[in-house]
Amino acid sequence: MKSIFVSILCAAALLTSAPALRAGEKLVISKPYDSLGFLEPILVHITGLTGEADNVLKSDLIFMGVVHKPLAEAKYLINAGATGARAEARVLEAVTKGLMHQAAFTADSQRAAVHALADSIATKLTGLPGIAQTRMTFKVETGPARGEIYISDYDGFGAFAVTSDQTIVASPGWAGRGTLVYASYKLGNPYIFSHVLSTGNRAPVAKHAGNNYSPAVSPDGRRVAMILNKNGSPNLYVANIDGSGLLQLTHSREGDACPCWSPDGQSICYASRAGGATALRVISAGGGSPRVLRTTFAPSPTEPDWSPDGKWIAFTSLTGGFKIFIVLAAGGEAHEVAQGEDPSWAPNSRALMFCSGPDHGKHLSLLDVPTKTVKSVARILESNSQPSWAK
Amino acid sequence: MKLARPATLLTVGLMALALGGAGCNKNPQKTTNIPGFGPGITDDKNSTPTGTVLPPTGGIGPGAGVSTIPINTDGSIPVGSKDLSTYRENRTEFRDQTVYFEFDKATIPPSEISKLEEVVRRMKSMPTKGIKVEGHCDERGTEEYNRTLGDRRALSIREWLAGHGMSAEMIATISFGEDKPADSGHNDAAYKKNRRGELILLSPPGSN
Repeated sequence: MKSIFVSILCAAALLTSAPALRAGEKLVISKPYDSLGFLEPILVHITGLTGEADNVLKSDLIFMGVVHKPLAEAKYLINAGATGARAEARVLEAVTKGLMHQAAFTADSQRAAVHALADSIATKLTGLPGIAQTRMTFKVETGPARGEIYISDYDGFGAFAVTSDQTIVASPGWAGRGTLVYASYKLGNPYIFSHVLSTGNRAPVAKHAGNNYSPAVSPDGRRVAMILNKNGSPNLYVANIDGSGLLQLTHSREGDACPCWSPDGQSICYASRAGGATALRVISAGGGSPRVLRTTFAPSPTEPDWSPDGKWIAFTSLTGGFKIFIVLAAGGEAHEVAQGEDPSWAPNSRALMFCSGPDHGKHLSLLDVPTKTVKSVARILESNSQPSWAK
Repeated sequence: MKLARPATLLTVGLMALALGGAGCNKNPQKTTNIPGFGPGITDDKNSTPTGTVLPPTGGIGPGAGVSTIPINTDGSIPVGSKDLSTYRENRTEFRDQTVYFEFDKATIPPSEISKLEEVVRRMKSMPTKGIKVEGHCDERGTEEYNRTLGDRRALSIREWLAGHGMSAEMIATISFGEDKPADSGHNDAAYKKNRRGELILLSPPGSN
């Protein structure tokens, strides 16, 4: 992994140059943007950058709830600059011109420095974790029934292949920042592997007789939920990431699919075909009886992903094409947010990565959920799918 | 938890032996109805099985034809311990017996049953051979949902074959979800061809 060397210049002396916010004063944004309860986008006016640096900063900020607008609409002014691999900015209150925030970063590239700058600004203005320096893993189709697992920056740049299996690979996910877990047909049947990125060491997580697939790593990176058919039906299991401690959680004959974890690691949400109609269910990671998660207005829900703040579950509904909905984790009315499938939450619980398009021609896109802003991500080869955002 | 009942620990192969094989009159083993399976297995030792009853298949060592796989109460059959991965694949033998499914369904349509009956009939003369069932889906489900659906489709075919005389040990399954479409089109005609279970004849290493 490329490390980003960041220096934050936020000298107190600089703050004295303007009537800044009093120390400890918090930015309070209480007005909900809409009925879903997300924060209203913070309107800013950005000056001082050109070309790629300008594009990167503005795009990064959109998916963190900070939107560039004409001067008259802006609540904050961002005076930025980028030279070589260094980027800096001052954030001023639009009316009083009070200095809100000041930061400068030097990184491996100007792009990386601007990403760091975007995170710094957005975190200051929204209080949410930055996402501009995060990465994703996804599946790239390289030919018929053949693909590889890739990693890239969250915006699709800097992509590289992790595997060279030349077979069907699927469901990559992160166990911390340094290990991936995914399924591969490399040995014939689908088995689940953990893959340490720094060493390339690959170890089986699940290599039971039959089919082993759809792994989902717990938020602490220590356990894996997955679908195994060893007992005669595709059912949900959990095990430690080394494969030990295998526990069967569901027993439906019709089959279960697509598990994901709650951020506290206590519950697993999955799609179940039990009883005939596909529904999302939630079960304790330690076992017990599942409960149906209501997804009113969203038929055939699959591919759930639980937001890091625990509030929402995003999923795919099959209703005349794939659509992405979100529903409160307790279930209820589901809200359509985009056309596409396989959503993965950003660490800020505000943006989603998803894929759309026909088989063999899928591409990834970013979505700012409350404003429904969508931006396509650079595509590798012909088809990209199954994004998983490093949290 | 769907623990297997003791009576269902018997395999279909053993039942077939008990009901149709030589010397079965001396076999005191009581047979039991298995939910989800066709006729031919009853608990009345005097009745005549009406379904397809096959001789035991060979090639699984001591007690050939006798699988020790417990059948679950819901009719599902756990994956066997026999490794068929070294067997040679013949993808043409049962090419015309590809089973097609309804959208989002894993139950075998009545119109497809005759294909599986044909498979069972031909497998009678190949007692050492096995079958691999590949489960496939059209692209209208999501990728991992389809891996489960394809899995269920392949398992349904395996259960039907095992319920009609084949040893479950000799039937491997694999799901390809939507990864291997038979027709790469994005229309109903293609989808119909892609919702399928393909049967591949497996021959033990070194055999003809």
